[in-house]
Amino acid sequence: MQPLPKFEYREPESVAEAARLLAEFGSRAKLIGGGTDLVPSMRQGLFAPACVISLQRIAGLRGIAWEEGAGLRIGALTTLREVEASTEARARFPFLAAAAREVGSPQLREMGTVGGNLCLDTRCRYYNQSEDWQDCVEACVKRGGEFCKASPNGRARKCFAVFSADLATALVAAGARVTLQSAGGARTIDLADYYTGDGASPHAAKPGEVLTEVLVPGRMQGVFGTYLKYRVRQAIDYPIAGVALTLRARDGRVHDARMIVGGVASRPLVVKAVPELLEGRVLDEPLVESAARLARKAATPLANTAGDRAHRRQMVYEFARRALAQAAAHAAVATGEKGAR
Amino acid sequence: MKQVVLLNVNDAEHELLLDPSRTLLEVLRESLGLTGTKEVCLLGSCGACTVLVDDRPVLACLTLASACQGKRVLTIEGLRQGERLHPLQQAFIDKGAVQCGFCTPGMIMAGKALLDRNPQPTPEEAREAIAGNLCRCTGYQQIVEAIVAAPAVEQAARTPVADGGQYLMPDMAE
Ligand SMILES: Cc1cc2nc3c(=O)[nH]c(=O)nc-3n(C[C@H](O)[C@H](O)[C@H](O)COP(=O)(O)OP(=O)(O)OC[C@H]3O[C@@H](n4cnc5c(N)ncnc54)[C@H](O)[C@@H]3O)c2cc1C
Ligand code: SF4
Repeated sequence: MQPLPKFEYREPESVAEAARLLAEFGSRAKLIGGGTDLVPSMRQGLFAPACVISLQRIAGLRGIAWEEGAGLRIGALTTLREVEASTEARARFPFLAAAAREVGSPQLREMGTVGGNLCLDTRCRYYNQSEDWQDCVEACVKRGGEFCKASPNGRARKCFAVFSADLATALVAAGARVTLQSAGGARTIDLADYYTGDGASPHAAKPGEVLTEVLVPGRMQGVFGTYLKYRVRQAIDYPIAGVALTLRARDGRVHDARMIVGGVASRPLVVKAVPELLEGRVLDEPLVESAARLARKAATPLANTAGDRAHRRQMVYEFARRALAQAAAHAAVATGEKGAR
Repeated sequence: MKQVVLLNVNDAEHELLLDPSRTLLEVLRESLGLTGTKEVCLLGSCGACTVLVDDRPVLACLTLASACQGKRVLTIEGLRQGERLHPLQQAFIDKGAVQCGFCTPGMIMAGKALLDRNPQPTPEEAREAIAGNLCRCTGYQQIVEAIVAAPAVEQAARTPVADGGQYLMPDMAE
């Protein structure tokens, strides 16, 4: 069988030690959580790190805990299966547990970690290919070449590979924050700001940073949330489009809406026009229609994943419409001050 | 640089000198001769290499062998109980859930993981459990039936039959 490129393997027992190793090896190191993204990429020769640093022996990185006043803390090494099964997650943020459940297959969710999901590499049909395939074509931007093969004239000098992590998309809609720790200290930023939008270098991590935790703010509890995923098969496949929607309903009116679309851009795509349109209004049929159209307008994918561009945009519209219809049904019955359940 | 790795596979301890880039699948098949675990896509897309690591169903092709130090690995070869097949293996035979057989070990390991957690699964739960395992022959129906029937097979195996021979399958009477 085609072996993986050779590397040194380390299992540090603390984040500090992992950060020290990252500092030592620099760009020649790769972190590994569950390995479900990194290992296939190494198999296809997309990465050949000198050192693979596993986070699996760092005890403090795993687990889900509700902290009054702060919110739901999810350690980076928590598996997707643990999120999906967590009573805390299911009770407080059911749409996050549901989004975790949409990922890949049972085996991938047993292995895949939350950190790995948030740090998932972007994907493209010209990039995620075997080494033999790649040997036959000129390297594109993401592989260090000059031009993007997926761009309409093949001349763009930017990479548009898509970000397709399901849970990450839902977490952006939940207003999540992430903690990044390096040898120099820790910082916490909005998850939305963790994504650059550049397919070739999609994450805003500084060299040597480990993502240690994601926090879903407590104030988001009771907010309506949903994540709807469109894909070819009902399992294994990455999303062709994934639509996450959160909002607060008060006396039948919508507040603080957020719509995020995965699978169509190099980052979880924030549909900025949706909150402006919906704020303070009753979510009736025509408004659902207008908001869904805004989602379609915002999504401008290239021909780089399954499904042609028009189809993907139409599905963004369709899944946005379904998410909004769910929200409308919720808003119609939610009258409480906090817009409960 | 090679490292010494202690692997517990099917309750047997192995001390192996491994390059850290070796996957669990390579080590099972090539170092330990346990070829029941199948090599198919090598990209996590088919489920044929499913094994249990500390009771959790994982893909051996994406798992580094070195990462399994100190964990318990169970493969299809470790399922049989003495001279007897595991009830799920027997159920696969009884229900005709095996055609070409290539997906079978992965299917059975995924099914076993479900049964360990949920001893009386519904057909829907069985379908979910094998959602990451592709089969190109059976159409899945018989596989789902086998997983659902496994508890009854186990029950039957525990019930001694008068002639002391093969136990009776509950729906063989039909
Ligand atoms: C066939 C197949 C189908 C899939 N389908 C889906 C799908 O439908 N939806 C989906 O969302 N995902 C899918 N995935 C991807 C993957 O299984 C999940 O996204 C998973 O959560 C990735 O986590 P991991 O721990 O396995 O990542 P890893 O492979 O361990 O890591 C992924 C990347 O993140 C980096 N990284 C990991 N942890 C950290 C950390 N704590 N800090 C900083 N960097 C880190 C790694 O260096 C690596 O670059 C699929 C994968 C396969 C093989
Ligand atoms: S979007 Fe363009 S540059 Fe990026 S991986 Fe695809 S072909 Fe390469």
